[in-house]
Amino acid sequence: MSCGTGGSSCETPRRRGAFVVLAILALIFVVLSIFSFLKSRNQVTPDTVSFGPYQAADGKRVFQAYNCMGCHTMVGNGAYLGPDLTQEYKHAGPAWLAAFLPSAGGWPTTAAVRAQLLDPNQQADGGTDSIEAYLKKFPGAAERIERRGGGTTMMPNLPLTKDEIGQLIAYLKYTSAMNTEGWPPKVEVQGFDRRVQLAHGVIATAEAAPAPAAPTAAAPATVDPVAHGAQLVKDNGCVACHATDDKKLVGPGWGGLYNSTVKLSDGSTVIADDAYLRESIRQPNAKIVAGYPTGVMPAYETLLKDDEVNAIVAYLHSLEKQ
Amino acid sequence: MQIEFQTQRLSMRFFMLMLVLFVLQVGYGLLLSLQQTDPTVLAGVMNFNVARAEHLNLGILWILCGFIGAILFVGPLLAKREMVAPWLIKLLFYAVIVIAVWNFFTLRLAQFGIAGWWQGQPWLQQGLEYLEAGRIAGVLVLIGFAILAYVVLRTFPPVRQWNEIHWGLGLGVSALMAVWVFGLFYVARLDLQEYFRWFVVHYWVEGVWEVIHITLVGFLLVLMFKVDVKSVGFAVFWGVMLVWLSGLIGNAHHYFWIGTPEFWQFWGSLFSALEPLPLVFCFWHIYLDAHVNKRPLENAPAFYFILGSVVLEQIGAGILGFTMTFALTNVWSHGTWVTPGHAHLALFGTFGMLGIAAAYYAVPLLRKVPNYDQRLGKLGFWLVLTGVLGMAFSFAIGGTVQIYVYRILGLDWFGGDVARAMGVFKLMLPLFGTVFAVGAGVLAYDLLTLGRRVAVPAGTDAHGEAATAHATTRWSRPLSGFEAGIWLMLMWIFGTIITLGLLSFNLPRVRVEGDPTLPYLLAGVGYPGLLLVTLLFVWRFLASMEARANAVAAPSLLRVLPAQA
Ligand code: HEM
Ligand code: HEM
Ligand SMILES: [Fe+2]
Repeated sequence: MSCGTGGSSCETPRRRGAFVVLAILALIFVVLSIFSFLKSRNQVTPDTVSFGPYQAADGKRVFQAYNCMGCHTMVGNGAYLGPDLTQEYKHAGPAWLAAFLPSAGGWPTTAAVRAQLLDPNQQADGGTDSIEAYLKKFPGAAERIERRGGGTTMMPNLPLTKDEIGQLIAYLKYTSAMNTEGWPPKVEVQGFDRRVQLAHGVIATAEAAPAPAAPTAAAPATVDPVAHGAQLVKDNGCVACHATDDKKLVGPGWGGLYNSTVKLSDGSTVIADDAYLRESIRQPNAKIVAGYPTGVMPAYETLLKDDEVNAIVAYLHSLEKQ
Repeated sequence: MQIEFQTQRLSMRFFMLMLVLFVLQVGYGLLLSLQQTDPTVLAGVMNFNVARAEHLNLGILWILCGFIGAILFVGPLLAKREMVAPWLIKLLFYAVIVIAVWNFFTLRLAQFGIAGWWQGQPWLQQGLEYLEAGRIAGVLVLIGFAILAYVVLRTFPPVRQWNEIHWGLGLGVSALMAVWVFGLFYVARLDLQEYFRWFVVHYWVEGVWEVIHITLVGFLLVLMFKVDVKSVGFAVFWGVMLVWLSGLIGNAHHYFWIGTPEFWQFWGSLFSALEPLPLVFCFWHIYLDAHVNKRPLENAPAFYFILGSVVLEQIGAGILGFTMTFALTNVWSHGTWVTPGHAHLALFGTFGMLGIAAAYYAVPLLRKVPNYDQRLGKLGFWLVLTGVLGMAFSFAIGGTVQIYVYRILGLDWFGGDVARAMGVFKLMLPLFGTVFAVGAGVLAYDLLTLGRRVAVPAGTDAHGEAATAHATTRWSRPLSGFEAGIWLMLMWIFGTIITLGLLSFNLPRVRVEGDPTLPYLLAGVGYPGLLLVTLLFVWRFLASMEARANAVAAPSLLRVLPAQA
């Protein structure tokens, strides 16, 4: 008489009832889904976000082409090797990203980020061309430079082009602007030193970070120019893109470059003498080596003094082909 | 039992392929765990993201091979006739190999940023977690699913004669294909892309695969224990129905933070919290069904893995899924190693073990060695079980530390603070991974060579000596329903402790003052407790099964019960 296991007359109506409930739930799901993507939700879309001439919509394709989600999370989904990237733009800003992405194997220094601020796109997007104002606006960049600047990262170098980097920045700008309902949760523990101490039991700042890129302009004149140059290329983030042997990274390798014959993109050749090297540092776009795009390297014209450029050139003399 | 239908033999090649892909996939897993401890391992040669794409891709492929093998083996029995179009099944087999090889080459292109854009679609690879393969492979997979659905549906009798098992498999193979379609379009908006990506991932594992799982477990129990088809049918119907009633809106537990509105937090938390119900139901049924008669365990490894599958579904999917399915707990667990703890136990535990169970059931019959040496199979089972429990433990505890350092303290980079704090657990992962990998190797070796090695001499006990040794101890006395209930309750108590641990991250004491004592304590009790109880319960259950009168004499033991009795 009762509705026991199977066979009883109650089973069929019960099953019907279950299907009705299922249909109602499906309807609820569809309605909620429609409301999720209505205009009134005011969620940003990638077609409305750009960085300079670069579109966030293109950046999304670059992000997928390199399978960034295979190491990082984005809105919390993906892999857990690297940090979450949803708000990377918001924390570190476009200039830090532009300094980091061409050679992700190294952490940018202040000088490397300052070099990016020469780019008008950067000035327009970050709203400033002064490194101090930039670091104030994007404290995440200051923190990154202070703790790790000049060190090596765990991320492999990727063969990103200049355009792809601009597009990625636009995409990260888009994800930073998204309303993700409060995720990742805001950090409410106060005080950086205290947080590091809670994590490791000791204040680890000093030990974890190589000395921040202190301006070395005041270096005494007696210093060996080659050593001075070697320090400068580190501080200015040059070695993020250039190898000290003849390997090609983002830019050409330096080993054996001095006095060699260089083929340029317009088909002509030049000898890499002192004048050429100086020009290539100050105005890299004046002559582009064959096989490299224009506009990747920032112009160091206003960033380096004459004796600093000379010290770097002296250092380049010392590097041999390997 | 004799093989009644020649087309059942087609399942063999899928089981063998499954084992090969399984071993390869585990190899990638070991590599990943090494790269997690030292990211420079193979950097530039095989970057973490490429290895991970392979790991996930092969994981899905070998689980599907297990499903296909099992379906091909039971299909003719359910239909009472040969499968139609065996040539299509052979084609499917080669298609799977082609897809695996193709993906091996195309997934690597991520290292060079090549997706193969054409007509707005990424044809070679698309860099989305679980859907890494490009459109070409995606379309091939779709064709593969279409073949499977066609063959199964054409082989089955007319719909009017279907029982619940037919329905389960019929709907399962059709939905497998239907859901896949949502992964075949490029979506420009991130929130919409994630919305549809979870259609594939969530509705597969928690909608379609669970349905196939319930059905296959049900039918394997019918085959092994002569359980009444009607009572299994009842269990299958309500199991499937509960899966859908909870899982349909339960999908919203992936919609909390992807840019979709806040209201999903309510719907997702509510309905996905009900998702463990069908799993408890299935768990209970395996207890009942395995105890309807007191016949001895004939094919021990097959039953070991069925039990493992149902138990790990209970704790891996049901309990660990439950702990992070509420917006208030997920806000912390999301995007951390807590998630792969659940992922490994649920995916390998539930579906991987089912495929291996089906292989252990079918292969001895197909090779005509019903009285095979079962010791390697049992050894392999214990190795992968402890291995995967240990891995889940390392992920989950490592993830708890990660939540604290990364989300609570806001210390940012993996190379600096987070990885350093997680160090011990990152090291434990490859250790347990090795145990797991050895188990996987043992299983693959055993199944590949089963019946080809020297046979067990007549008269020897195929189970080894252990079976008779513990026949009389208290540990192996029959497992009563009451006791099974106590074990289940213990698991859920530890599950509750874990949930409270994740919740406690919300307390001002933790969140503002930065004191991790409470979440660490609760996780430190909850995870090891849950995993130990699981290990003990499986041991206890199997001991009671093994202790049944060990008369391995009759060939009648593996007889099939007609599907529509
Ligand atoms: C056998 C069934 C299941 C399998 C195979 C499975 C598998 C997975 C996998 C692979 C992920 C990881 C997704 C990622 O990488 O981001 C995941 C996430 C998740 N699963 Fe399951 N799952 C199952 C059942 C369940 C159940 C029953 C629940 C709830 C009670 C659940 C709740 C969750 C939650 C909350 C997440 C995390 C979402 C996030 O934070 O991103 N799962 N599951
Ligand atoms: C020796 C065995 C294994 C080891 C050492 C291992 C290790 C790993 C590692 C290190 C990750 C990456 C987690 C991260 O992004 O940080 C991963 C991800 C994953 N593995 Fe495994 N794995 C193994 C076996 C398996 C098996 C057998 C399966 C399923 C059949 C599986 C399924 C997955 C899934 C679904 C993910 C993504 C999880 C998520 O994103 O939440 N793994 N595995
Ligand atoms: Fe889910």
